[in-house]
Amino acid sequence: MAEKIIAYRFDRLDQTLSQLNNENCVIIAGGTDVMVLHKSRRGVPPKIPKPIVFIDHLSELKRVYQNDKDLHIGACCTYSELLEDPFIPSPLKDAIKTIAAPAIRNRGTLGGNICNASPAGDTLPLLYIYNAKLLLRSVKGDRIVAISDFIQGPRRVQRDHNEILAEIILPSILEGGSHVVFEKVGNRNADAIAKVGFAGYIRLNGARIDDVRFAFGAVGPTMVRSMDIEKKLLGKTVPLAAADIAQIVAAFDKIIKPIDDQRSTALYRKTVALNLLRYFLSMKQYQPN
Amino acid sequence: MDLKDISTSVPRKDHKGKVSGQLAYISDVKVENMVYGVLYRSPIAYGKIISIQLPNLPEGYEAVGAEDIPGPNYVKIIKEDQPIFANDWVNYIGEPILMLVGGDLNILYSLLDEVKIELEEHQAIYTLDKAIKQKSVPGVNMASYEFGESLEIISAIELKAHQIIEEEYDTGYQEHVYLEPQGMLAIYKEDEIVVQGSMQCLYYIKNALLSALACGDDDVRVVQSPTGGGFGGKEDYPSMMACHVAVAAKAVKKSVMLVFDRSEDMVVTTKRHPAKLKYRTAIDKDGNILSMCVEIFLDGGANVGLSSVVLQRALINSAGVYKIPHFHSKGYVLKTNTVPNGAFRGFGAPQSFAGIESHIGHLSKLANIDPIEYKRKYLVKQGDPTITKGNFRDPILMEEMIEDLLNASDYKKKKVEFQTFNQQNQRYKKGIGTSLFLHGCGFTGSGERDHIKATVKLVKSKDGKVILKISNSDMGQGIYTTLSKIVAKELDILYEKVLYPDPDTKEVPDSGPTVASRTTMIVGKLLQRAAKKLKDQWQSGVEQEVVEHYVHREMIPWDEKTFTGDAYPAYSWGVNIVEVEVDTLTGNLKLEKVYANYEVGKVIDDRVMKGQIDGGLAQGLAYGYLEKMTSREGKIQQKSISDYGPPTSLDVVTIQSKVFDNPYADGPYGAKGAGELTLIGGAPAVQAAIEDALQTSFQQIPITPEVIIESLWMREGEEG
Ligand SMILES: Cc1cc2nc3c(=O)[nH]c(=O)nc-3n(C[C@H](O)[C@H](O)[C@H](O)COP(=O)(O)OP(=O)(O)OC[C@H]3O[C@@H](n4cnc5c(N)ncnc54)[C@H](O)[C@@H]3O)c2cc1C
Repeated sequence: MAEKIIAYRFDRLDQTLSQLNNENCVIIAGGTDVMVLHKSRRGVPPKIPKPIVFIDHLSELKRVYQNDKDLHIGACCTYSELLEDPFIPSPLKDAIKTIAAPAIRNRGTLGGNICNASPAGDTLPLLYIYNAKLLLRSVKGDRIVAISDFIQGPRRVQRDHNEILAEIILPSILEGGSHVVFEKVGNRNADAIAKVGFAGYIRLNGARIDDVRFAFGAVGPTMVRSMDIEKKLLGKTVPLAAADIAQIVAAFDKIIKPIDDQRSTALYRKTVALNLLRYFLSMKQYQPN
Repeated sequence: MDLKDISTSVPRKDHKGKVSGQLAYISDVKVENMVYGVLYRSPIAYGKIISIQLPNLPEGYEAVGAEDIPGPNYVKIIKEDQPIFANDWVNYIGEPILMLVGGDLNILYSLLDEVKIELEEHQAIYTLDKAIKQKSVPGVNMASYEFGESLEIISAIELKAHQIIEEEYDTGYQEHVYLEPQGMLAIYKEDEIVVQGSMQCLYYIKNALLSALACGDDDVRVVQSPTGGGFGGKEDYPSMMACHVAVAAKAVKKSVMLVFDRSEDMVVTTKRHPAKLKYRTAIDKDGNILSMCVEIFLDGGANVGLSSVVLQRALINSAGVYKIPHFHSKGYVLKTNTVPNGAFRGFGAPQSFAGIESHIGHLSKLANIDPIEYKRKYLVKQGDPTITKGNFRDPILMEEMIEDLLNASDYKKKKVEFQTFNQQNQRYKKGIGTSLFLHGCGFTGSGERDHIKATVKLVKSKDGKVILKISNSDMGQGIYTTLSKIVAKELDILYEKVLYPDPDTKEVPDSGPTVASRTTMIVGKLLQRAAKKLKDQWQSGVEQEVVEHYVHREMIPWDEKTFTGDAYPAYSWGVNIVEVEVDTLTGNLKLEKVYANYEVGKVIDDRVMKGQIDGGLAQGLAYGYLEKMTSREGKIQQKSISDYGPPTSLDVVTIQSKVFDNPYADGPYGAKGAGELTLIGGAPAVQAAIEDALQTSFQQIPITPEVIIESLWMREGEEG
């Protein structure tokens, strides 16, 4: 008595887009979030409420290329593919290596991580501090939106049902000169959902801070980033004075509001988030990576 | 079999089926006329059922409940306090109330949602702490024992002591996480119900069925299907599932399959008992122990099940491997309205060893002596009495094993190196810790003689094959291999000529349950004797059969009332050394090195033993710092493997282990038990290593990153 499911798998992106324009569908890239979200109890197939469109095979969505100083990453590149790609910055590779385990990394995609918009999505803290822009494509054309505008809340994104996330753009990333760190705190070393994520970015001119960015994952409904706080550090010199560090930590202390759940406590999440921030700010020197 | 040494590994009997993925587990089985069962469970922790309203059931769908049970409504284990289907009071969230059966799981799940129940809710006890406060309320104290030095004498010693050290120590839940969730199938036949599934103890199930179905010995039959891990989780729990499917099969006259998915399994099946252990120790001015009182509280959950026996083992191990002067111990199993706790590899001993190793470690700090040296001062020796006035009559190799492991790990050098490292590194801190432990092999006390009375049978076919007829389960631990090997070696025939089919109670006598590190030592010895007998009578070309019964080696008789005598016929021993690195920013722990020495009499198969060592230690280490399960208002919070967090291959490092020979006269080729021992030292060693790294003390396991961060935070507060 299997229920009928309608599924589309077109050869080309334009056919896919026009189907999406005709009908409200569930997009499946790797399916590693979709299948879990809709899973039923034992012995019963997942219940997906709308027709399915598979996109993971579309070559238009799997390219990684350089455009001027920007890096374009196809939304359907799997984690395993990105780990092999020479263009992908090493901090992002480090983050990818913390995701799930090889089998899931062979399926899961960067686009899926973004569109799933989990507070614990492990690529998100880095994408936020890279100022990632998202290229959304529909039959009507392309539009570009900042990741922080696109992600609205847990599993809530600003995507029209006829749009596909086609590319993730990391602006100016190939310029280099910045020092970037990513730390994932999970309950174990593989197949773990983040309890805290932290990404830090700093670019110096001599000892002077030209640019600095921070993003925290799994401590709120979306990534926590604050341009206002970041601005306070512009022009300061490293190593930073204790008072400056304390000021930044105190400012984040006010806006980071994690929760208790089955994986950890609010107190732990907050303490660790601030510890990682303080540690990043206290570094004596920063090597571009 | 031509092996110079029995320990030399042979291919496992179950290797091909498992490696090829061809082996069918119970959830892969389909039989004719089979329906599925799903359980309607209590939504509340404690209360009285007023009424139940079933939805309209479509044709082919039926409800099965207490009124369908031919016999009394309890799962026969020890006490009669566990209903098969709760029909009056419910005592925990998830307690089975009735079963819906039918052909389509999808329909069954939606019918489950439509069942309406009216309950009168009562005030539940959700935590062990609450139960301890209400210990004297009738029904809360489900079992207790007390023994040891008289309290008057201890009071007198304490009066003159330099200092009294009191500590309270908490241990958490542990979930078995067998790879294969629980599953049971009752095959309906006119004259017989065949219950088949994932299990450790065929005759426990058979006895439970004889009671529940109120039927004759030939009317039920229990067959083990390939079992993907047990760890004790399939010792007591499957009896209840077997009753569910058998009662249902009888009621609906169809075969009934009940299989849990992971989240159901995690939420409703038994777990390791959370425990509170209290220590009160008198010391002199040099830090020497003058007397010690231990009090143990086990959270039994909603019914007693095997908890009283778990408590016995916890108490018997409450002094660890030490000879403590003037030792007194008592313990309780307390009832809470939470999922019942039950058997788990180690059976009460892991809690006790974690507690005593922690306490002794803390005493060594007070005495300003390296923990391992302090522990060695109190180590039991051959001929010493046990805390229950039994005797350690066999040689003890612990000194040798400790010395060897200190050398292998370069312990002294590491201590110095780590101190320097920790001074220089702000973020990461390294530490090294040890644990010393033993495990009593076989059933506690006279259990083998009075309750189990094992019997084994060997059947030789005309063509010279020898078949093991015993009721013990291979659940992955390797007894298909090791027991076959013992028989092959004794008969001096090819290993391939020895067969060990999945046990079936119609075919095999009761050789006892597959628990308590008893199988190799007790059943293996019986098989060896049977094989010897068969060899003496061997006649080619004819079918032959030999039977052997358990013979008790009389020592100092065990008396459960006074809690005295030899608690076990023999002991296996272990030493662990663990090195860790703690990230003080996140509290995360990295295992760097794990060293382990064991003594299990004689190893029957090196590779099988290594499997027990690596798996047992991973599980034991994780119990100390990684695996965390909590219950909130009677609900288990971690319903998935990733939330619970058992170790992955990236969490465990290569375990450097060695096993010492010390043949035991009453074990086959000298073998004693090995399965539980390997788990026990993990948690205490990891705790000691974390304490060494952070130069602080903890009073609980698991020491999760949350616990570490809180401790560092409090210390920062104290330091200003
Ligand atoms: C066992 C396991 C472990 C995991 N571990 C981690 C982990 O450690 N860290 C982590 O961050 N995540 C983890 N995940 C979650 C998941 O693997 C990732 O979020 C992954 O990136 C999702 O990618 P996908 O292609 O599989 O997404 P899908 O499941 O295919 O899609 C996810 C969502 O995005 C939408 N979508 C996907 N692609 C597009 C597109 N191009 N345009 C528009 N919409 C799109 C889908 O409609 C859906 O809503 C884990 C999942 C599992 C099952």
